[in-house]
Amino acid sequence: MEFYETTEGRLGLRDIPPVLADLLRQIPHSGDRDSDEVEERFFPRPSDDPDEEDLRDDWRAHVEPELHGIFQSARVVVEADLRGMKEEEDVYALEFSRGHADSWLNALNQARLALVTQHRFSEEELSSPRPALIRNERDLALLQLTLYEYIQHWLVEVLEP
Amino acid sequence: MRVGAEVKEAPVEKAKQKSESDLPWSVIVHNDPVNLMSYVTLIFRKVFGFPREKAERHMMEVHQKGRSVVWAGGREQAEFYVQQLHAHLLLATIERLD
Repeated sequence: MEFYETTEGRLGLRDIPPVLADLLRQIPHSGDRDSDEVEERFFPRPSDDPDEEDLRDDWRAHVEPELHGIFQSARVVVEADLRGMKEEEDVYALEFSRGHADSWLNALNQARLALVTQHRFSEEELSSPRPALIRNERDLALLQLTLYEYIQHWLVEVLEP
Repeated sequence: MRVGAEVKEAPVEKAKQKSESDLPWSVIVHNDPVNLMSYVTLIFRKVFGFPREKAERHMMEVHQKGRSVVWAGGREQAEFYVQQLHAHLLLATIERLD
């Protein structure tokens, strides 16, 4: 798989093996977004001070719906870009506007956070070498995390001011 | 961010609230094992306009010490920054500066 940037300001991935293309298609849906733990991680409290109950109430009422909108809009952008993924012989290719890079970074972060929270990966597991064999759903989630991390690194480089 | 109540308040109470909200507040970013170091640096640059060195210094502090005070000032602005950081899925809180 190769990352590239065109002179017209488009970003792309080519020579994507089918298994990785499947994992890319899962970006907007990875992890159990409805679980309380994932919800808690996506919408953390703005303060732990016991005297700040009013702030937390305001946050739940006014900020969280806005954050919901931001997260959903990023996933919608990525999902639409992914629908444009093309099969070229035995591999896939995907191109999207550079202007979508922020949405991609956000959606990838959502996917990674949801997967880590759902599978309860420890910090040690996340920094250890990835399993050589995919034997179960947990190993597959680690492969997904590696792929998403890889793409995020590239997008950060692209967006560096 | 805070929603104003419709109830009329005594001037002394109002003055007290104003002076409390004028106290310096800090924005704290907390460590989490998922966000990439390069991503956190990028978000600090984007949200606060930090130069690269300053953004990296705060990112390293978060990584090594578990938290970093990334900004201090008025409460409303502090809440705005926390909201921006949450929108990028960073763990951030506001705290009153002593």
